[in-house]
Amino acid sequence: MTRIACLLATTGAATEPSAQRTLLQVALSHSPRVEDPGAGLVYLDAAGLQGLFGDDSRLAARLRDVAAAAGLTVRVGIAGSRLGALAAARMGSGAAVVEPGRDAAYLVAAPLSLLPLSPELAARISRWGLRTLGELAALPTAGLFERLGGEGIRLQRLARGDDPRPLASWKPVPLFEESMECEWGLDTLEPVVEGLGGLAMRLCTRLGARGLAADGFEWRCRLDGARVHDGALAPAVPMTDGVAVGGLLRLALEARPPRGIVRALTLRARPVRITATQESLVDRSRSSPRVLAATMNRLVALVGPDGLGAPALLDSHRPDAVGLGAYAPSSVSSSSPHRRESRARVALRRLRPPAAAAVTLASGRPVALRSSRLTGRIVAGVGPWRSSGEWWGRQPWLQDEWDVELADGTLCRLAHDGSAWHLAGIYD
Amino acid sequence: MAISIESSPPPGWDREGIDGLLGLFPPGRLSEIVGPRSSGGSSLLLALVSRVTTSGSGQVAFVDAMDALDPASAAAAGVDLSALLWVKCGGRQRTALSATDLLVRCPGFSMIVLDLDDLGPVPASAQIRLQRAVEGSDTVLVVRGIRHREGSPASLVVATRRVAPRWMGLRPLTRLAGFRSEISVARSRGLPSSPRGEGSSWTLDWTL
Repeated sequence: MTRIACLLATTGAATEPSAQRTLLQVALSHSPRVEDPGAGLVYLDAAGLQGLFGDDSRLAARLRDVAAAAGLTVRVGIAGSRLGALAAARMGSGAAVVEPGRDAAYLVAAPLSLLPLSPELAARISRWGLRTLGELAALPTAGLFERLGGEGIRLQRLARGDDPRPLASWKPVPLFEESMECEWGLDTLEPVVEGLGGLAMRLCTRLGARGLAADGFEWRCRLDGARVHDGALAPAVPMTDGVAVGGLLRLALEARPPRGIVRALTLRARPVRITATQESLVDRSRSSPRVLAATMNRLVALVGPDGLGAPALLDSHRPDAVGLGAYAPSSVSSSSPHRRESRARVALRRLRPPAAAAVTLASGRPVALRSSRLTGRIVAGVGPWRSSGEWWGRQPWLQDEWDVELADGTLCRLAHDGSAWHLAGIYD
Repeated sequence: MAISIESSPPPGWDREGIDGLLGLFPPGRLSEIVGPRSSGGSSLLLALVSRVTTSGSGQVAFVDAMDALDPASAAAAGVDLSALLWVKCGGRQRTALSATDLLVRCPGFSMIVLDLDDLGPVPASAQIRLQRAVEGSDTVLVVRGIRHREGSPASLVVATRRVAPRWMGLRPLTRLAGFRSEISVARSRGLPSSPRGEGSSWTLDWTL
């Protein structure tokens, strides 16, 4: 029999990473199977815990008390499904239990907002006049399938307390750190290097056992007088070779040795997962996955995770509707050359965000442009090209576009969104 | 019988000519495309990227200093977007140079583009470092900027010049059809001799 407990943090700082970690630790101290949906919410498998903590009511009260002792105010719900447990946590008294087999009845009055709905789907269901899970559960299944497909069936099953998906088990991220205390102080460099080399061997063995490598190492030497000597090492490629790492640490320490007697050593590795890829003897252009992984990590550190990837065109007519997907060079096959023909097409250089512009009109046509990027008299122009979309959603857009030529020969695209002019891009 | 609607090139599209032009960009060297706005520099860059990505095995890194790349234009030019690594630098020249420096040391990219647009002049030391890093590799390194900097170590400098826009429709005009630009080889140093070397020029029509 499935029993799931839901911990829902209610304090203001509930969505902070530290609060989420605390919540997960509380859950893990009661059950080995824990799911982390994030944002102050944690599920745990409550089946079979009676022998340890008593019945469901006692378990709920205990979870709430343990979380309170850890500094978190939480609401607890226990039911036969995730949705039932969440509803119990939200709607109950703080530690509520839904009796086995009573999930569907409990969810009848629960609001639809408990379901994980996309904004579009939520708006669509809302337009049908549905407000509660009970109303969704009561709809004819065939009709729901015709309108929403398989997603509709899944949502209706959830609303009826039928949740077939098992918990997505969360495991704490292992900390790859090794330390050693020195019984007597180390006042020369050689034993310090040997000590760190030993720690590197242990770390690399642990990393290798998990199929990981490290693209960075940080060491810290505690010196006499509460002083600290620390440093970092970034190998050119992710490594799992302890001897090689030890050699690099030796070079780094010889270049900048600790100034004092060393009492303790700590070495920490930054783990990265290396994608297993078949190396190719004939495809010279494909980079080594290890080198590429190291380069990508450094680029992410440079431009941030949102500044890097393969460009993707989104399924929208909204201007500049582009996204960034994961860059996966191995997906490109060398066996399909000349799939597309290159064409001599004009490139538009986008301004992101579009630059605010002041446009002078004469007889409804733009004749002069002034903006932070371009200023000048407009000698020719065509437009407006009107486009609009998503008027059915929450973010409708409307745009009139003009292609204009400035007196200096620059060709650019102007856009008017109904209230203001913008310089959207420059043809080049 | 299958009929290809792309079989006839647009007017002014000198396939032999542009292929010859694109083939000039040498691997293992620093090349530059310089020219004012609307002179076809970015269009030439996308044609070059398209040529590499459609070869089937070419990966291209596009370091975009000003976040100006329009993926829709790139796709229209025939660029295989899945073979393109787009690095957006948010208008920071130093970040763009650091990212390029990292990428030229990562084997596997057939081409690396540093699109600086109108950001200030790149220090000569940075250009020399990039030139040194790319030497001996199979990577084509192309820097796109508005102006050519004296003292640049680029082996190939291609200059673009705007000629005239092309409009569709009689008065009143109905839409922009494209523009014509003139592209010339301003410098070709230390490269294998070619019948279309320094001083050669092409007139190309770019269509929207």
